[in-house]
Amino acid sequence: MFVLLRELQRLRRQIGLRPPGRSGSLAVRHVDAGSCNGCEHELGACFGPHYDAGRFGLSVAASPRHADALLVSGTVTTRMASPLRTAYESMPEPRWVIALGDCALGLTFLGDETELAGPVETLLPVDVFIPGCPPQPEAIAKGLLEAMDQSRGAKLGRRRLHL
Amino acid sequence: MSVPGSAIQLVPADQWRSTCEGLVDEGGRFLALYAVRENEDVAVRAAFDGPQGPTLISCTTESGVAESIVPVIPAAGWDEREAHDAYGVDFEGHRPLRALLAHPDDLSEWVVPVHGHDPYQVAVGPIHAGVIESGHFRFRVVGESILHVDLRLFYKHRGLERAAEGRPLSTGIAFAQRACAACAVSNSVAYAQAVESLQGYRPSPRLARVRTLLLELERLYNHLNDIGAACAGIGFAPGNMAFSALKERVHRLNQALSGHRFLFETIAVSRSPATIDRAAAAEARAEVETIAEDARRAWREVLFNASVQDRFLGVGRLSLDDALRLGTVGPAARASGLRRDARSDAPGLEYPGFEPASLRHSDGDVAARVNLRALEVDATVALLHELLARPAVPLAEPSAEAALEIAPGRAGIGVVESPRGETVCVLEAAEGLLTRMHLRTGSYANWPSLAHAAAGNLLPDFPLINKSFELCYSCSDR
Repeated sequence: MFVLLRELQRLRRQIGLRPPGRSGSLAVRHVDAGSCNGCEHELGACFGPHYDAGRFGLSVAASPRHADALLVSGTVTTRMASPLRTAYESMPEPRWVIALGDCALGLTFLGDETELAGPVETLLPVDVFIPGCPPQPEAIAKGLLEAMDQSRGAKLGRRRLHL
Repeated sequence: MSVPGSAIQLVPADQWRSTCEGLVDEGGRFLALYAVRENEDVAVRAAFDGPQGPTLISCTTESGVAESIVPVIPAAGWDEREAHDAYGVDFEGHRPLRALLAHPDDLSEWVVPVHGHDPYQVAVGPIHAGVIESGHFRFRVVGESILHVDLRLFYKHRGLERAAEGRPLSTGIAFAQRACAACAVSNSVAYAQAVESLQGYRPSPRLARVRTLLLELERLYNHLNDIGAACAGIGFAPGNMAFSALKERVHRLNQALSGHRFLFETIAVSRSPATIDRAAAAEARAEVETIAEDARRAWREVLFNASVQDRFLGVGRLSLDDALRLGTVGPAARASGLRRDARSDAPGLEYPGFEPASLRHSDGDVAARVNLRALEVDATVALLHELLARPAVPLAEPSAEAALEIAPGRAGIGVVESPRGETVCVLEAAEGLLTRMHLRTGSYANWPSLAHAAAGNLLPDFPLINKSFELCYSCSDR
């Protein structure tokens, strides 16, 4: 195990990740509403050793009740529309919605009409869009930070509430 | 080969089961079963692999009723349930025929009843706690032990097969590719092979080489990911992080070689859109070597860590008999001692003298499945070493005009070993347009085996057992 830890330390030095240079935090709940698993892999990589989104105060919350933002990937299938709404309704306010990937944005619409409820925007108010198929880890981190900035603005009373 | 593709052999409805049984008795292996609409009727088709290549048989249902083949081929269980839900076929002898694709509200319509002293239910999903795909598991538990688990997938069902119908054969590949990012190359190659078989096009050695290279790159990042995932399954963060880092390096290698981290759009029908030059191949070869070296070092740390092995050994056991019966494929099947890998007989790809990986102790537990992947990483690295050394410059191939006349009553079948196991694509077409596409991935084949292996284990070990199979939801849901 110590060999692994030493290697990881060496890797971190090699990559030379810059210090975040900012403060704040954003807890994200991810919902796969019908993606091809690409966005999930890249989101995982975003929190992996090469990108370490955690150093910006970003984290993945296990429950929507503990989340500031809902991160939705995939064109929403008819079967996932209701669990997605339930997750959104379970969140404390104020809350943010981030659409992750081209499918969630409605840029690709691959599938049978009867099985798809539509892009995330047609079901929930989306605050941040992260395009890409799948979006690369840097792009995901940037999108999440944008949501974090929005949430800061909200603390100063500049944010509408979605009820 | 006079007429391209496989003939769809018609079988009388009352001989459906006996014909399927006969094919298996002659050494055939069940590949897939699906339904298709024919004029006013619904027909059921089953594909088998045999010494003479794939066979496809069909029977027209009598007012929607067909004989079930599950009593003789249990591996077709999910296939029949899906055909029932999507095409309304009633399978005589498959009782109860529980809902799979359909999501009825009534629990009794899709779960196996459990009786006894004090069993209780644990419902998990469709939204999971981590960054995981969506799907629902219904556990029946006594104390900490799993008595039985029912899987309710298809939350991510996008109707890709139906959406592909009516599309030209060359563009339908998008539906196979987007079924799953992590198996994009495998699914696309299976699709491309099915079309090429239908059109009578034989891939050139050069095309075979590029596809083999891309398939192995896909396997490399998936296997590294899966070993890391198993470490995550027991909360061994250093192992998870080490293998995530290795996986990331393969993604970057893929990006440098093909322009996409997941190798999207590198496979097309009868040609190769991927262009890989000598210099890039040489660099990639050196990088694969260093990744392999680091992977071996990290793997030793996992393998000789007593507390890790203590959690892996003896958990989630799948016996060889069960693997054979349930039609388990891929690393999971090989970890149970089944020496079967679609790469050992892969026309159209370049695997000379390929031997399936096998363990000294094929115990079929989590340890065996993880160990087997580590073995396969070595094999894949050796293959890549060879493939990248002679990159038959340039690795791209000009578009070839294949015969576009498709003989009626024939189908194309493509079989590819994906990182999760054998993936089968069956295509039917008329006048150059798809009339039916069926994709049965390694994940789809293995979900029932996972449920079977989980029974009798501790509920908290389920995430670990799940990760040792590491099946895709999107590949199965389509």
